Amino acid sequence: MLGFDGVTKRFGPVTALDRCTFAVRPGRLTGFLGPNGAGKTTAMRAVFGLVELDQGTVRWRGGPVGPADRARFGYMPEERGLYPRMRVRDQLVYLGQLCGRAPLDVTRSVDAWLERLGLTGRAADRLDALSHGNQQRVQLIAALVNEPDLLVLDEPFSGLDPIAMSVMGELLAGLAAEGTTVLFSSHQLDLVQDLCQDVVIIEHGQIVLAGELAELRAKVPQRFIDIRYRGPAPDWSRLTRAAVVEAADGVARLRVGPDTDIAAVLTAVGERADLISFSYQPPTLSELFRQAVAA
Amino acid sequence: MNGVRQGWLVARREMRERSRSRAFQASVLLMIVGVVAVLILPAMLKPDSTRDIGITGPAPAALTATIAQQARAADITASIHPYASLAAGEQAVRQGQVDVLVAGAGRLEWRGKPDEQLKSMVTGAIQLASVRERAAAAGISPGSLATLLAPVPVTSVELGSVAGRGPGDEMAVLVMTIVLFFGISVFGQMVLTGVLEEKASRVVEVLLARIPARALLAGKIAGIGLLGLAQIGVTALAALVAVASVDSIDVPAVRGPVLAWALVWFVLGYTLYATVYGALGSLGSRVEDAQSVAGPVMVVMAVAYFASFVTVGKPDSTAAKVLSYFPLTAPMAMPGRIAMGATAWWEPVVAAGLTLAAIAGLVTLAGRVYTRAILHSGPALSLRDVWRGSAASGRGVSAAGARETAPPPQPAGVTAGERTTMTGSDTARHRWLITVLTGTGVIIGVAIAILTADVIIGVAAGAGFIAVANQMARLWTRHTGPPVAHR
Repeated sequence: MLGFDGVTKRFGPVTALDRCTFAVRPGRLTGFLGPNGAGKTTAMRAVFGLVELDQGTVRWRGGPVGPADRARFGYMPEERGLYPRMRVRDQLVYLGQLCGRAPLDVTRSVDAWLERLGLTGRAADRLDALSHGNQQRVQLIAALVNEPDLLVLDEPFSGLDPIAMSVMGELLAGLAAEGTTVLFSSHQLDLVQDLCQDVVIIEHGQIVLAGELAELRAKVPQRFIDIRYRGPAPDWSRLTRAAVVEAADGVARLRVGPDTDIAAVLTAVGERADLISFSYQPPTLSELFRQAVAA
Repeated sequence: MNGVRQGWLVARREMRERSRSRAFQASVLLMIVGVVAVLILPAMLKPDSTRDIGITGPAPAALTATIAQQARAADITASIHPYASLAAGEQAVRQGQVDVLVAGAGRLEWRGKPDEQLKSMVTGAIQLASVRERAAAAGISPGSLATLLAPVPVTSVELGSVAGRGPGDEMAVLVMTIVLFFGISVFGQMVLTGVLEEKASRVVEVLLARIPARALLAGKIAGIGLLGLAQIGVTALAALVAVASVDSIDVPAVRGPVLAWALVWFVLGYTLYATVYGALGSLGSRVEDAQSVAGPVMVVMAVAYFASFVTVGKPDSTAAKVLSYFPLTAPMAMPGRIAMGATAWWEPVVAAGLTLAAIAGLVTLAGRVYTRAILHSGPALSLRDVWRGSAASGRGVSAAGARETAPPPQPAGVTAGERTTMTGSDTARHRWLITVLTGTGVIIGVAIAILTADVIIGVAAGAGFIAVANQMARLWTRHTGPPVAHR
């Protein structure tokens, strides 16, 4: 369990982190969301002691994070970077050894990860001889060489093609299933909704929403009704307790309260058109995010 | 996992990766070939040392034997050629077949200016042969003649300018000072560019998530330093082998303690300057920033280098004493005083203590600068920015976003040479700088040549200075394309 406990960081007149308190649980994927400049990178750097905090503590398993803990952490910074002229395998072994692992263990991990990500054939090449996608993979391995208990990834999906994205998603889900605590930032909210069990939303350095995604969605009073129909558009004005979010030919999305009479909605549609599909859902993460950030 | 072990891993990586690079291997090879060539070529190109002496006309019977005997005594290899006629002998002189023609035991004929050493040797031989002939005619026995003419031994000693040390020692000290300067500046620069490369490639954030900034900086300095020592050691070994294989070079007696101290001072001087270089390197963002952030150190080093020459001629002067205690100049000035025998045993110990104290202070300051500046991106920082802490790590990181990317304060004229952009007038100024540096190098070379009355040393010192200064200046002006837009 990673815990932020009233973490505050100021850069001159700017408060980058403002009394941030939240927890990241093991065995789950936690998405770290927020607009550009909200403080995500600063918060992630705080985990690794890369910023001197003005107040508060970052805790790991109850105690303040120390060097011994960090040796069991993995980090992929947003600004990717490794030694361009160093050979891939040498580089990864070096980074693993810096975490204090025995050379033999590191070598075994590195070879296993290279194999798993299809880079075994490039192990002896210089990093700058690799394609952009392969360099991204090496960067990911760099965060994994010490078989970390906590993995922090800053925008791991940015710049990936759709196939690489799904590989990355499966990989992170797999690590979480093995018990690793995973925190990653992203702007791809649909992807986070599909992948993550927990989310943390930060805005202007303050945590505006944090917790289990399903719970957060359920807690919001609004529900959304998605309708597909054939025929002329229903007369939505008859519905008193529903707001039309989106209406086009044959498709509509309505926002309704928890006590809305769903039968009335169905009747309104059925009067003029044939219903094809109907769904009653809590808000998506996107809607949750927009609400939280706009507040 | 402690910092020392991590620092050692960093040092090991520096050594392994650098020694693997083609550029480094080529530079090592070039250095060895160059040094060996400088030592061996003059001996190989030296003209044939055999002197050819022609003899013609009437001469004392023992003249040939006497010349041979005198030549042996004077350590000259002589070959004697008799000629039947004066014309044949003179022809041989004109064609350069013989160096001198002894005509009728009374006249020496040369093609040009007489060679004084050869002249006195042959003249002496003629005198001796004539005296022997006359003595025999006067009935003096060869035995009493030998007693009469037994030579009074006269020897020559080269005093140099300091009691107990010869001119060979002075030359050795100059070479040592040059090697120290080259070593400290070249390897110090490697630390500077190494820090900048890590910062520019962003690998530094990956590293600092795992190890403390101090371990990273210390490991880098140690790794490059050990590699530098190895390079100097290999080159020195090659030089010793070369010198040993060419016996015509006079090697001043190498004194163990002097060498040991030179090694100590290399380590101290390198550590001192590399620490500063490393800290300044963290202020820049791109490799092109190297020279703009490190300019002041180069000036200090160059001044320390010139100043250290004072100690060679006058190791007991007040100036020399001051320079050999001041930490910034001590690494280049103290070894010379030690070698010239101008120090009591405790003097280098005290100076080393002072330098160590300075290093300790600088490590603290440099660690603070490095830690604060290393994660900064964007325009190069000034020391003042770092000092005030307004540009602490984390500032200007693009992901941390719009609110944090306000440009760091860059007050005009804060610290000399902290600007990153390069304009046309800058380029002109740097061209001017190169001219000035070259001119300064020439002046220094001439001054040293006059001071030491040795052209070779003057040329070596001047050329050494010009080479290093111009290399630095070229790095300074190096900029690829237009300045990168600042974020």
